[in-house]
Amino acid sequence: MEQILANGLYLGAQYALIALGLTLIFSLMNVLNFAHGQMYVFGGFVTYTVVAQLGLPFVVGLFVSAMTLAVMGAFIEKFLFRPVIKKSTREESTMLLAAGIAFFLDAVILLIFGEKQRGVPKIIDGVLNWDFRIIMPYDRILIGCLAVAMIIAFILFMQYSKTGRAMRALAQDRVAAQLMGVEVDRYSMIGFALGAMLAGLVGGLLVTITGVNLGMGGPTSIKAFLMIMIGGAGVISGAIAGGFILGMMESIGLTALSSYGDITYLVIFATLMVFLAIRPQGLMGKPWG
Amino acid sequence: MIRRDFIKSVSILAAATMFSAGSALAANDVLKIGFVGVTSGPAAAWGISNQRSMEARAAWINETGGYEIDGKMYDIEIVAFDDQKDPKRAIAGMEKMAQEGIHYVVGPNVDDGAAAVRPVAEQNGIMYFPYAFPKALYTAPASNAVLGMVANYQSGPAIYEHLMKSEGVEKIAFVAANESDPLSQRDSGVEAAKALGLEVVSDSVTYQVDTTDFTPVILPVLKTQPDLLVLSGVSPANAPQLIRSARELGYTGLMSTETAQDAKVLQEGAGDLANGFISVGGASTEELASDMMREFVDRYTKMFGEYNDESNTKVYALEYILETIKADPAGMTDVEAFKTAMDTFEAPNPYMVGDAKLSYVGSTSFGQKRQVAVPLVVNVFKDGEFETLFVAKVD
Amino acid sequence: MNIKQIVGVVVFLLLVFIAVPWAIASSGRWDFYYTLTSVALLSIASAGVWLTFYIGRINIGQGAYALAGGYVSAVLIMQVGMNFWFTIPLAGIFCALLSVLIGVPILRLRGVYFAMVTLVLTEVMRLAALALPITNGAKGITSIPLPQELSLFGLTLIPDFSTLENPKLAFYFAAVSIMVICYAVLWRIVNSRLGHLCRSLQQNEELSASIGVHTAYLRVLAYSISSFFGGIAGAMFVAISQSIYPSSFQVADSINFMLNCFLGGLGYVFGPMLGTLVLYFGWDLLFTTGRYQLLIYSSLLIALILLLPNGILSIFSRKEKRS
Repeated sequence: MEQILANGLYLGAQYALIALGLTLIFSLMNVLNFAHGQMYVFGGFVTYTVVAQLGLPFVVGLFVSAMTLAVMGAFIEKFLFRPVIKKSTREESTMLLAAGIAFFLDAVILLIFGEKQRGVPKIIDGVLNWDFRIIMPYDRILIGCLAVAMIIAFILFMQYSKTGRAMRALAQDRVAAQLMGVEVDRYSMIGFALGAMLAGLVGGLLVTITGVNLGMGGPTSIKAFLMIMIGGAGVISGAIAGGFILGMMESIGLTALSSYGDITYLVIFATLMVFLAIRPQGLMGKPWG
Repeated sequence: MIRRDFIKSVSILAAATMFSAGSALAANDVLKIGFVGVTSGPAAAWGISNQRSMEARAAWINETGGYEIDGKMYDIEIVAFDDQKDPKRAIAGMEKMAQEGIHYVVGPNVDDGAAAVRPVAEQNGIMYFPYAFPKALYTAPASNAVLGMVANYQSGPAIYEHLMKSEGVEKIAFVAANESDPLSQRDSGVEAAKALGLEVVSDSVTYQVDTTDFTPVILPVLKTQPDLLVLSGVSPANAPQLIRSARELGYTGLMSTETAQDAKVLQEGAGDLANGFISVGGASTEELASDMMREFVDRYTKMFGEYNDESNTKVYALEYILETIKADPAGMTDVEAFKTAMDTFEAPNPYMVGDAKLSYVGSTSFGQKRQVAVPLVVNVFKDGEFETLFVAKVD
Repeated sequence: MNIKQIVGVVVFLLLVFIAVPWAIASSGRWDFYYTLTSVALLSIASAGVWLTFYIGRINIGQGAYALAGGYVSAVLIMQVGMNFWFTIPLAGIFCALLSVLIGVPILRLRGVYFAMVTLVLTEVMRLAALALPITNGAKGITSIPLPQELSLFGLTLIPDFSTLENPKLAFYFAAVSIMVICYAVLWRIVNSRLGHLCRSLQQNEELSASIGVHTAYLRVLAYSISSFFGGIAGAMFVAISQSIYPSSFQVADSINFMLNCFLGGLGYVFGPMLGTLVLYFGWDLLFTTGRYQLLIYSSLLIALILLLPNGILSIFSRKEKRS
């Protein structure tokens, strides 16, 4: 039992961090970023290149991938999303753009980084073994703690910094925020960059444990969508809750249902659909997000 | 002075290009061979290693003057189509091949694609070499598909039997991704293990291919304490993570798979934890590779920057097509002649040392010769490289 | 219907039934038949997605119904021995009924919530196809025979496809005919009272409910028609590939159906058809660009969105406004 909880917590921490970036972008611009998973993969490959190919320390890799993705996010917002949002009559049109960007990033990743699975050597060796009740490698514990630390840092940033407050105001009511003197364009761009940066950071963190390959993008986006649905779209605390809940469900479901064959994920997905049918706005979302 | 040099070099370059273009036009006819497979998206690694080994081999043949068939030299051109692992696209790809007048196609890489292209291939007289295992594709009345590698229901029993004898394996467990190909491979693996008298302790655990943490997946399997853990149809992306999770949870038994893996990927993803991992490979381990195999690896590496060990199993299909056409030149446009030639065809295997032969097999599994005979080379991973565990034959 | 529209329909019919076969015969590009057949079938499924857009729902789950329809057809042919042509409407009806069951709870959701649930639906259907015994699980259903003869009182309406010299052409005509019927139905729906009611849903659900529109019923009705389209498209594909696997229609297909609608234009009935043509045919035409195929494809897609964010067909309405 302890092992299942520990697995769930570790999974939850990494999921929550992925979901945070996605939900931030959604709350600011009402854009469902289909390319979020590709950004995550891109971040992983950047870290891989810096650490495994150039032989620089892991922290440098993380930093470089965070910066690369932040810049990429800012450009994508400024030159792609902003004009399309201004010109289109239905705001869902941004989904097409997001999907186009996802295809584009897939192509770029394949051309630059190749088709192979990549991984960075373990940062610390050794396995924590608490009387065979919890077995957890130290690097997983470290990454889990880093992920939690980043989540806390992100919350503090949103809560107390000027930028964070401006973005929260924007998320709550775009028009009102504008009237109060928040520069919508500027903070949308910062928000998008921040969201992309989070994706890059998670990619960098996880490349040491799960590695990275170009196929992970799409499925990662879909999982992140699930998490923000559970918690409530566009709500920061919801994304965190969603991430941990999905992590726990996977961990418990895989153990409890393993003897019934191939139905674990079927059950998880079906439960989610039923849950959303009963509570359409997720745990903490605004109704009709 | 500089300018004159510049003009001179430009004119030499121009002359050289004209000459080379002229010679290429004048000399050889072109023989087109198709490839329909997945070269983008999650499974891109399968198709890309496949396409690249064909392109590397074709470039090599063309560079050395072409391929001789019936006293005539041919340049080999590879026409590749990316089906995005979508059976509907795979059909479109096969139609393209028919349009190009191609009769020999390597691929598709997965079960559903291979089944979907069958009507098109049969209507248009195309022989295709899929990397998919369903027996219906190769058993009569189907006759246009040739299995391009060793099937898991052939390699699996060989591996299990070997490990029963050498390591005393008694209990076996299976883990597979919940997709068609791995699940089918798991089922046939379970069947084979039972036939050998092994005790199957776990065969129902599956995982999503996009899993980022395999600890919860592996945990219930390890509780059953198997001696051998089989990763059925595992993709190169998932293999290192599964190995790592199992070892970190304290599993000390054996692990194996019946798919081809890449040594570098295993090394990066699992490091020393992957030591002892058993997989099926081609003939590129030190002990078995011929000079030609080494040159192939060299050329591949030069052309694409990095070799992929999965290509060891994928180098053969093109060679088989060309050698068989050479054996009966009528086969170039007439697949019926090709099929007749298949029954008696035999040629030396250029990629392996010793007197190994290229020939068509599969009578035992399919009732007709619809499989290329590639040596069943079982590898074990050790400190970043593959070592040969044993070599067996398929009939 | 005014004169202009009638002329448009006649021109379109002449184009797909006469001009296209003629162009293919004279150019010798026989492989285009399959591509165009696919476009026709995929655009039927996209038409369904378009209809759910019309009631203000983003539907990323059409692949689920296409897969279900395919399995219904395959199982009926293989296990009941039914004639393929009868399985098409049955596949559609099965999907429509299934969508009522699924739709009643989930159609309460809106915006991204509905979109995400439908996205999960495709994966649920794939996993169900893997787990259920009737679908033959991971091994799929293969070696399905070609469509049989369909006759009425001894009069052959549709010949047995396996006796035909060129089944490709037959599939093309079959697919295009079904497409024409489906779009005619769609057009009729949109320009009827039902269509007006749907439009009112798209604009403001509370308001239309308050003036007495039975919104819940209307939503389920539109969604089940949409799923009907998905089902018949899936069934038709089974006949062409003569096989079906749990992965025959995947999440990527569902996303593509949605993109087809966006690209063509959400405000135009024929948007999804044009969108499918451009997206699917575009990929095929770029086949010669080799490893840069996806890069060029996605760049063109992004450029197109930047130029025409409201869909390709919006180019015409803009001109009309100016003149």
